[in-house]
Amino acid sequence: MTATYVYGLVAAGADLPDGLVGLGPSGEVRTVEHDGVAALVGDVPSDRPLGTRDDLMAHEAVVDKVAAATTVLPMRFPAVVEDDQVVDELLAPHRDRFLRALDALDGLVQYSLKGRYVQEVLVQEIVEEEPAVADLQERIRGVPEDASYYDRVKLGEIVARAMEQRRDVDARDVLERIGPFAEQVSSSTPAQPDDVVEAAFLVARDKAEEFEREVEELGGDTHEWLRLRLLGPLAPYDFVPAED
Amino acid sequence: MTVATQPTGGGYVDRGGGGGSSGLADVVELILDKGLVIDVFVRVSLVGIEILTIDARIVVASVDTFLRFAEATNRLDLYGEGKGGKDLTQLTQGMMEGGAKGKTSGVLDAAVDKVEEVLGGNRNGDRDDEEDEPVRRRPRQRARERER
Repeated sequence: MTATYVYGLVAAGADLPDGLVGLGPSGEVRTVEHDGVAALVGDVPSDRPLGTRDDLMAHEAVVDKVAAATTVLPMRFPAVVEDDQVVDELLAPHRDRFLRALDALDGLVQYSLKGRYVQEVLVQEIVEEEPAVADLQERIRGVPEDASYYDRVKLGEIVARAMEQRRDVDARDVLERIGPFAEQVSSSTPAQPDDVVEAAFLVARDKAEEFEREVEELGGDTHEWLRLRLLGPLAPYDFVPAED
Repeated sequence: MTVATQPTGGGYVDRGGGGGSSGLADVVELILDKGLVIDVFVRVSLVGIEILTIDARIVVASVDTFLRFAEATNRLDLYGEGKGGKDLTQLTQGMMEGGAKGKTSGVLDAAVDKVEEVLGGNRNGDRDDEEDEPVRRRPRQRARERER
């Protein structure tokens, strides 16, 4: 079989930006339309499996360049169908679902925000406020690494727990301040204690500037202890409706 | 890790994405974990990338996290014994390379970048480590007062 790579879905006839470069040997990105919905597709390298750095970057670049111009449902990497099955397997059976989702996301883009503590500042604060930390530091000092292993684990655990308590408060503050500038917010608790916030915001295209300005202002107010990283505008990765 | 970033506006917020200007770690998170899944799709054989990212998550399990913070408190003590413990990033890189012989380097790059992102990255050349000024207490109150 020959395979076709699928980047995402758009409304039929949507204006696509120029300069899209796909991950296939031809680099081509085109659309296959069916009854109001269109798949963004391209060729697939036939001499190697997918999954290189360049493949991932190309998929993201195509989807997010399109997202900057029009509403797109991004496929999870990697999505491949047989050449002659784009309509029969993908578009026709799921047409209504795709159109509903495109309609619900019309005029909206995603921003992803991550915030991480400036570690030195937070650790300093915790060392000053948690008496147990100073005690353990004293015990570890000058002791060989192997001998202090359990004390070091314990010390780190106290610091990590203290950090988690602080971040619950700080994450809420961030979301309360930025949330009102978005239509929808999806946030998760980060795995690492010094990661404060990981959230995706669905923002109206015409309010994107305002949203970015608010994030910048927040960054200015908190930069001494919080590093913010903002991605976007992106395709609505976090807001794609789950399968029916 | 050096995340490719595109500062726009020169503010305090690190900016990246979309349309190809994101770092690889960002991209991995977006397009491997999220996005539309259709069950009829052929899952093309991947060069072990999902396995590698899972390994990365296991490596950062709690004990290593705790040791990392213990090290951070040691670093505050300028006249202490210096930094103890192993460099977790190196450890992980060794593990990834050892466990993935024969896989393409592109995927390895992806996984290692992912690991470094998860671990907190920037272990080398992190500006914050090199600042001479004393660490200040953060003005938590000030941030709150500015809220509307």
